[in-house]
Amino acid sequence: MMQVNKRSDMAKKVEIGSWRDLPPMNISMGTMLHNLTGSWRFIKPIYLDKVPACQNTCPCGNDIEAWIKLIQRKEIRDAYLYIKREEPFPAILGRVCFRFCEEACNRSGLDESIRIRELERFVGDMGISKGIYPQVPDYHGKSLGVIGSGPAGMSVAYFARLLGFRVTIFEALDVMGGILRVGIPAYRLPRSIVEAEFELLKNMGITLRPGTRVGQDISLEQCCREFDYVFVASGAHKSRRLGIEGEDASPYVMTGLELLKKVALGQTPTLGNHVTVVGGGNTAIDAARTAIRLGAQEVTVLYRRTETEMPAHPEEVEEAREEGVNFHFLAAPDKIELDEGGRIQRLICCEMELGPPDESGRRAPVKKPDSRFQMNTDTLITAVGEIPWFEPLQTFTKVKHGPLQTDHELFVTQPLPGKAKVYAGGDLIDIPHTVAHALASGKRAAIAMDCDRRGINFREVESKISIGDGVALSFSKYMDLPPLNPVRQDLHQVVNRDRIVYDYFEEASPVQLHIRPPAQRKMHFEPYVSTLTQEEAGQECERCIHCGRCTECDNCLIFCPDISILPSGEDSFGYRFDYDYCKGCGICFTECPRHAISMVDEDVDIEEA
Amino acid sequence: MRQVIKGNHAVSHGVRLSRVEVISAYPITPQTTIVEELSEMCASGALDAKFIKVESEHSALAALIGSASAGARSFTATSSQGLLLMHEVLHWVCGARLPIVLANVNRAVGPGWNIWAEQTDSVSQRDTGWIQIYCESNQEVLDSIIMAYKLAERLMLPVMVAYDAFFLSHTSEVVDIPEQGEVDAFLPPYEPPYKIDVDNPKMLGGMIGPDLYYEERYLIYRDFMKAMEVYKEICEDFQGIFGRTYGFVETYRIEGAELVLVTAGTLTSVARIAVDKARQAGIPLGLMKVRLFRPVPLNVWRQTLGNVPKVVVIDRNLVGGLGGVFASEIRSALYELDKRPVIYSAIAGLGGRDVTPRDIRGIADYVLSGQAQTDIPIFWGLKE
Repeated sequence: MMQVNKRSDMAKKVEIGSWRDLPPMNISMGTMLHNLTGSWRFIKPIYLDKVPACQNTCPCGNDIEAWIKLIQRKEIRDAYLYIKREEPFPAILGRVCFRFCEEACNRSGLDESIRIRELERFVGDMGISKGIYPQVPDYHGKSLGVIGSGPAGMSVAYFARLLGFRVTIFEALDVMGGILRVGIPAYRLPRSIVEAEFELLKNMGITLRPGTRVGQDISLEQCCREFDYVFVASGAHKSRRLGIEGEDASPYVMTGLELLKKVALGQTPTLGNHVTVVGGGNTAIDAARTAIRLGAQEVTVLYRRTETEMPAHPEEVEEAREEGVNFHFLAAPDKIELDEGGRIQRLICCEMELGPPDESGRRAPVKKPDSRFQMNTDTLITAVGEIPWFEPLQTFTKVKHGPLQTDHELFVTQPLPGKAKVYAGGDLIDIPHTVAHALASGKRAAIAMDCDRRGINFREVESKISIGDGVALSFSKYMDLPPLNPVRQDLHQVVNRDRIVYDYFEEASPVQLHIRPPAQRKMHFEPYVSTLTQEEAGQECERCIHCGRCTECDNCLIFCPDISILPSGEDSFGYRFDYDYCKGCGICFTECPRHAISMVDEDVDIEEA
Repeated sequence: MRQVIKGNHAVSHGVRLSRVEVISAYPITPQTTIVEELSEMCASGALDAKFIKVESEHSALAALIGSASAGARSFTATSSQGLLLMHEVLHWVCGARLPIVLANVNRAVGPGWNIWAEQTDSVSQRDTGWIQIYCESNQEVLDSIIMAYKLAERLMLPVMVAYDAFFLSHTSEVVDIPEQGEVDAFLPPYEPPYKIDVDNPKMLGGMIGPDLYYEERYLIYRDFMKAMEVYKEICEDFQGIFGRTYGFVETYRIEGAELVLVTAGTLTSVARIAVDKARQAGIPLGLMKVRLFRPVPLNVWRQTLGNVPKVVVIDRNLVGGLGGVFASEIRSALYELDKRPVIYSAIAGLGGRDVTPRDIRGIADYVLSGQAQTDIPIFWGLKE
């Protein structure tokens, strides 16, 4: 801390000779600085940056507030590197994230959430176009083999490389990216973005091994012998079966993943005019919208529950509807009747109704008696869920399907051959199946491996680097990188709406997105939302409340009745309290628009924390 | 320049000509048009002042504590309940030695709700340490505002200029509005001995222990009493520049009077007519108008009334003390004289009720007939 001359040192006590010398007004004769009103205080204010609601809900712990501030300062390059501290692939998540942050955004208490995802995409695209990546350290000698190049594998590779590991990624397909490349349709995530991210990973010194299927081209045992650490992230690419008659006997019945993968690899399957998709998840919606783009005239999604229970993201459902996808709720296929050529003659369905809640908490669908009806369709696409799957592990485990068991550190607890310590992440383990959660699992595993390598206790580290309610870990805290605001930070205090003084903010609509109309976008697989311009991004950032983070707005300084808040000086950030005179009235705390000030007990050491 | 204006606008012009820098007020009938006019002057640029809108009279005066402490010439105006709501701050302004000028339009106090002329509001604030001046005409109102600033700033004490609701506030009269140059020659810019200075932080209005509080209050009292000589000087200065002036009191046909009427405010004009008529009829009446009420011009009152056989003080106020406030003040002022008049108190005109020359004559006749008692007020005009 900078040593500042204390104002109290300037205080001189004035002795009055005679009352006849009293001034003609009621005014102190010396300065009042000798009167240390700070001694009246019993709690004191401190500047304490906290965790904004957006960061708290982000599975990656993305420090959104900080890089929004950098965009506002027009330091886009720094903003990009700042995002990459916690979330390595902003151009990807900036397109496909389900926006947990925006749901939590405190701005929605005033008007509408900040368009965080669009801002992230803006920064991500700039970073990719300039080929920027963080400085990497020298190798320390330990190596990591990553099985699967989806988001979890990419993430663990990125963070492990930043931690000094020598990293190799194995990918069974000839193209890198897993679900990002062959699952998510190109209209949501263009190939070029995924390829560019891998280019950056390569530039960081990570070895990419496409077309290398572990268990076939190289054995799992060999992997475990060659590497000190292994991370398995082979995803959930085995589709659940409907379990009905006719399912396996026709080329016109296929899984959603199969369709998406074929299209992603450049094939154009013939689907016919009528396409029926069974399922209510994101794969079902992706498949339906892909079918529309392949020229199907009528696409119907058949879902056995109602729209409320659909696991698909509502935004995706809405956009599918705009593009002409029909939805038929409370219905399920019962039987597929095929002709001799394997064509679908009739699809026999049942009407469903919702019974009592099942173990997932959703109401379980049950068949309505005597409710069979038939549908005509040329193609049936099944998308009723994917099963985590990694075949080579089957040799060593009794569990034949379902998520792979890991402990808190994502360490695979069952005994495996070889010296390697094996971790797992992404859709293979029991976490929500989103890209953001997959990236988060990669970060967690990388930190856990590094703790293991250094022989330190992960749990202890975790308590210091977990963010807010504990959803995410802070990689920058693990690396001891300074926060953007050079003030104390409490990673465990979350700032929600009840802490924001909305009176200080004016309503402002979010920036308008440029979205192509459905009639145009369903003609091809091109993306249909434009990246924000720098001007638009800057405008959107102005809406940010900067919850829990000081913006040097001067409100505390203006309101302090004791002139006890002093600017830190031209070259330093923020303010300092003059505790000689601060009475602890708490007005600064109450009036801070964004809760960047806390009131703490007198005995809390200010230099601490 | 002579113009026909209402009493309230006479105040506004007095404020403008005094180059007031901060105005803070809360509207109340019958004061409102003072500040309406001032806000328009501020808006048009005729007056270069900061106009602060507030949510109450308490805040209006409190805001001026800030502006006056910062060295700005400050003004507010109010009436009745508004003045009473300021009560706490009135004391503070005096203790803080801030030369604020306040125009009070004398209005009855509720309930019953009444917006008409009565002086209970300001006379009940006589102990707050403010200098009080009561006016009889719109010209006197305008002139008094300008004089008040000079007086206040010389003494570092606040001045209240009081005048009757509607009879003056909303009644138009010919008023000679002085030229700015004349007023500038009379009233120098406000230069306080101390003011808020960020480079030299001081505590204002701070705590004083038992060791010095008494002396501090004594100093205020001492300077308050100095008002007498300063006021006299200022009246002479005013005469020199404007060719008219005012005194501590104004007397009318007092020579040889058997009975002298004492009034304050617009009652005086009515009483003058009554005196003339009585004199025509051979009844020796005289009149003394109270103008400076705080501090009490003791010697002036004694010299004026000491040799008169009888005095009746007509009060347009009624408080729970000894009846009319002016009457009890005059009584205690004259008490120590070896030879003093018989003093009667009359109450008239409460809540804006008209007091006519006939009423004044009635009071005089009643006193002269020997029916009146000295220990209870004469409630003149009280309905049967």
